[in-house]
Amino acid sequence: MKAKLYVLSMTVLLVGLLSLGSLAAAQDEPVRVAVVLPSSTIDLAWSQAMYDALVAVQSELGGESAMEIAVSENTWDVTAAADALRGYAEDGYHIVIAHGTQYGSSLFELAAEFPETTFAWGTASDAGVDRGLTNVHAYDVRAQQGGYINGCMAGLLTETNTIGVVGPVPAGDAILYNNGFLQGVHACNPDAEVLVAYTGSFGDTALAAETAQTQIAAGADVLTGSAQQVPGAIDAIQAAGGYWFSTDVDQAPNWPDTVVASMAYDFTGVIKDIISKRANGELGGTAYELRLENGGISMVYNTDIEGVPEEVFAAGRAAEAEVRSGVVYPIAMLPDEPFRIAVVMPSSITDLAWSQSMYDALIEFQQQLGGQSAVEIAYTEGMFDVTAAAETLRGYAEDGYDLVLAHGTQYGTSLFELAADYPDTAFAWGTATDTGLDQGLTNIFAYEARAEEGGYVAGVMAGLLTESGVVGIVGPVPAGDALLYINGFQQGVAASNPDAEILLAYTGSFGDTALAAETAQTQIAAGADVLTGSAQQVVGAIDAIQAAGGYWFGTQSDQSVNWPGTVVASQVFNWTPVVGRMVENVLSGQLGGEAYELSLSNGGLEIVYGEVDLPQAVLDAANEAIAAVQSGEVVVARELPENEE
Amino acid sequence: MTGSNMTLDQILIEAFALMFLYATPFLFAALGEVFVQRSGVLNLGVEGMMLMGAFSAIYTVSEKGLGQEPLVGLLVAIITGGLLGLAMAVVSVTFKAEQGISGIGFTLFGLGLSSLLFKTLAGGVMTAQGRGFGALSIPVLSDIPIIGDIFFNQNVLVYVAFALVPISVWLLNKTSWGLKIRAVGQNPAAADAMGVNVNRVRYSTVILGGILAGVAGASLSIAVTPIFQENMTAGRGFIAVALVYFGGWSPWRVMAGALLFSIANNLQIWAQILNLRIGGTAIPPNLLIMAPYILTIAVLVFARQRKRLEPAALTKPFERGEN
Repeated sequence: MKAKLYVLSMTVLLVGLLSLGSLAAAQDEPVRVAVVLPSSTIDLAWSQAMYDALVAVQSELGGESAMEIAVSENTWDVTAAADALRGYAEDGYHIVIAHGTQYGSSLFELAAEFPETTFAWGTASDAGVDRGLTNVHAYDVRAQQGGYINGCMAGLLTETNTIGVVGPVPAGDAILYNNGFLQGVHACNPDAEVLVAYTGSFGDTALAAETAQTQIAAGADVLTGSAQQVPGAIDAIQAAGGYWFSTDVDQAPNWPDTVVASMAYDFTGVIKDIISKRANGELGGTAYELRLENGGISMVYNTDIEGVPEEVFAAGRAAEAEVRSGVVYPIAMLPDEPFRIAVVMPSSITDLAWSQSMYDALIEFQQQLGGQSAVEIAYTEGMFDVTAAAETLRGYAEDGYDLVLAHGTQYGTSLFELAADYPDTAFAWGTATDTGLDQGLTNIFAYEARAEEGGYVAGVMAGLLTESGVVGIVGPVPAGDALLYINGFQQGVAASNPDAEILLAYTGSFGDTALAAETAQTQIAAGADVLTGSAQQVVGAIDAIQAAGGYWFGTQSDQSVNWPGTVVASQVFNWTPVVGRMVENVLSGQLGGEAYELSLSNGGLEIVYGEVDLPQAVLDAANEAIAAVQSGEVVVARELPENEE
Repeated sequence: MTGSNMTLDQILIEAFALMFLYATPFLFAALGEVFVQRSGVLNLGVEGMMLMGAFSAIYTVSEKGLGQEPLVGLLVAIITGGLLGLAMAVVSVTFKAEQGISGIGFTLFGLGLSSLLFKTLAGGVMTAQGRGFGALSIPVLSDIPIIGDIFFNQNVLVYVAFALVPISVWLLNKTSWGLKIRAVGQNPAAADAMGVNVNRVRYSTVILGGILAGVAGASLSIAVTPIFQENMTAGRGFIAVALVYFGGWSPWRVMAGALLFSIANNLQIWAQILNLRIGGTAIPPNLLIMAPYILTIAVLVFARQRKRLEPAALTKPFERGEN
C-alpha cells in the first residue's frame, strides 16, 4: 500500500513538474516561422517584400529570441518548393509560408497531414475552408489600387502620350497591377496610349530590358512593370532619360533619378495577425487582402526627383485619396471584348438629378476602362411610363447587352419577370435592395443611396447658415431617395440649430419647375433664406432662392455648376464604383445577387462644394458631421416618426 | 414675421400676390381655347404648343441662346404658337381629323420637339434670369398698402393676360368676327347659308389659340420663372382646357376658374409648410397636392348648367351639305 502511494505521488509530482516545465518552455519558446520564396530576398520585388516584412516583425517582437525565421529562397521549382515546405513542417515550424501562387497545389495536402502547423500562402484567396481545413491562411494583394494611382501619374507625366508596361506573366498580382495601371492612365489622360508586353518570366532581366527598349523605340517615355526582372527595364528607361513607376517595394533608393513613385507591399500586418491568431488557438481560415485602407499597400512618392512637376504628385495623392475612400474603384479584370451596358432612365440625362447621376457615372466608367472601344453604352431616357420602360428593357436584353440597368424603383415589377426570361443577362435596378435571390433569381443586382447621410450634413450646414432662422425644403414626392434625403436634412438642421424653423412642402411631381418655383417663393415669403430640395424640378427653386439672395443645398448631382454663388454644397451620387463592382462580378461570372449602397463611408456619396465663401465654423461643422456619420457615432434615421414636430 | 409666426392676413396677402402671377399661364392658354371652342373646334394640343412657346421664347432671350430682348422672345413664341395653330387647323378643319386625337398628337409632338431642341441646342440647362419680363410697378397705385403689392406690382405679362379678359369679351360679343365665331360654333350650316366662311373663321380661331398657347408657354419660361425644363408645363395645358369648360366658355368665368385654381394651389403649399393639422394629425402632403384639383371638380359637379352652354358644333368638322 505504502509503495503504491509513493509511486502514485511521485508520478503526479513528475507529471506536474514536466507540464510546468513545458509550459514555461512554451512561453519562452520563440515563434518559428519558415518561408519558401520563388526568388531572392534581395530581388527588389515580390520575395523581398515578404522577407523584409518578416525581419521587421522579428525586430518588433524582440529579435531572434521571440521569432525565428528560416528562409528557402530561389525556390522557383514547384517540386523543390513542396519538399522544402514539407521539411519545415516536419521540423516543427509553427508557421510555414508558401510565398507564391504556384505553390498552391501541394499546400492543401500538406496542411491536411500537419494539422498543428499553420500554413499561409499567397497570392491567393482560398483558405481551404470548404475542404474542411482549419490551418491554412491565404493572402492576396489588391494591386490594382496602386496600379491605378501609378497609372494616373504616368498618364499626366508622359510628354509623348505613350507609356509602356513590362509585364512578367499575365497572372497573380501582376495582372491586377497592370489592369489598375491601365485604368489610371485612361482616367487621367484618355489620349495616352499604353503599350503592354509580357516577357513570360519573372526573372529574365535581359528580356525585360529588350522589351523596354522596344517600347522606348515606339515612343514611350514612361514605363512600369513588375517582378524581379524589372531592373533590366528600369536601366533601359533611365538611359533614355525617361521615368519609371514601381510596384512591390520602394525602388527609388536604387534609381533616385528615374523612379517617380512605388506601390510598396507591407506584409507586416498580416504576419503579426497570423502570429497572434495562433497564440489564441486559431491556426488558419482567414483570407487576407492587402489594401490601401488597411496599410497592406502604401504609396511611396519620390518627391526629390528632378523634372517631375508638382502637379503630377498632387494628382497621385488625390488619386490615392479617392481610391482609399472608395470614390474610385479600379476593377480587377478588364474585358477582352467591348463590355455592353444599357440603361433605362425615367428622366433626362441632363436633369441635374437622378438620371444624370447614373449617366455621368457610366461615362466616367467608360473612360476609366479606355473609352468606347472598351465599354459600349446605350441609354433610353425620359421613360417615366413603366410599360414603355419594360419594353425597352426587354429589347436590350434581347439585343444581348451584358448589363442592363433599370434606373428607377418603379421598374421593379417588370424586371423580375424579365430576369427570369433572360437568365444569361445581368440586370440591375435602383433604388432597391431586393435582388430576387429568395425567388430563385441569380441575375439581379440592386443598388440604393443612403441619401439621408448627405442630407444630414447639408442640414447641419443649413442650420448654421440661416440668418432668418427659417429653412425651406421643396420636395417632389415623399418617397424614394428624396424622402430619405429630406428626413436626413431635417435631422441635420435640428442638430445644429434646434430653434430653426423648417418649412416642408411637396410639389407632387418630379419635373414641374414652375410649381417648384412657386413653392420656393412661398417659403421665401414665409421667411426662408436657405432652401433645399430634390429631383429635376429644383432648377425652378434654385433660381428663386438665387434671386432672393439666399443659399441652396443640392442632392443627386452637383448643382453648383450652374449657380456657383448660390449652391453651397451638393450631395453627389457617385455610382461609378457600384458600376465597377457590378461589371467586375459579371466578368467573373456572377450575374447578380448583390445589393450595393452609396454612403459617406464607401465613397458613394460625396459632398461637393460650390463657390460660396463659407465661414470656417460651418466647414468644420460639416467635416465633423461627415466624420460622425462615417464612424457611426451619428446614425441618421431613414424614417421620421409621423407626428414629429 | 416668419413662417408659423405669420398671421392669417399676412399669409393671405402673400398668397394673393402669387395667385395672379401663377394664374397667368393658365389664363393665356384658356382664353385662347375659349375662342377655339366657341368656333366649334377642340384643341387638345395646347400643352405641346405651350412647351414649344416656352422653349422658343427662352432660347431667344437667354444668353446661352440668342440673347435678345424679352419682347423679341415673345414675338418668337407668338410665331411658333401661330404656326402650330395653323398646322392644327389644317389637320382639324381641312382634313377633318378626329380633333381629340389630333390634339393629343400635337401635344406629344410639342413635348418631343421641345425636349429634343432643349437638349441639342441648350445642352439641357437654360436660364434667362434677369433677362425675361420683369415686374412692373404701376406708379402711385402700387404704393397703396396691401392692395398695391397684390394688384399693381406684378409681372408685365400678368397685366397683359388679365387685360385680355375684357378684350376677349369685347371681341366675342361686340365685333362681327365674334358674331361669326359664335354662329359657326352653334350652327355652322346656318352660318354657311348666311355667307360666313366657316372654315376660314375656324382657321382664325385655331391660329389665335395657338398664338395664345405659345404666349402662355413664354409666360412660364421668361416671366413667371426664368427657366426651361423638359415637360415643364406639367399638364397645365390640359388644366387650361378644363378651365374653359369650368368657365362655361365665358372669358370672365374662365378667369375666375384660373384664379380659383391658382389660389387653391398656393394655399395648399402654405398648408404644407405651416404643417397644418386637423385635430392633431398632420395632413398627408399627397392629399394637399390633390386639393386644388378636387376643388375644381367639386365646383364643376355643382355647376350643372355647363352642358347647355356648350357650343353645339364643338368637335364636329364642317362639310357643306352634310350637316
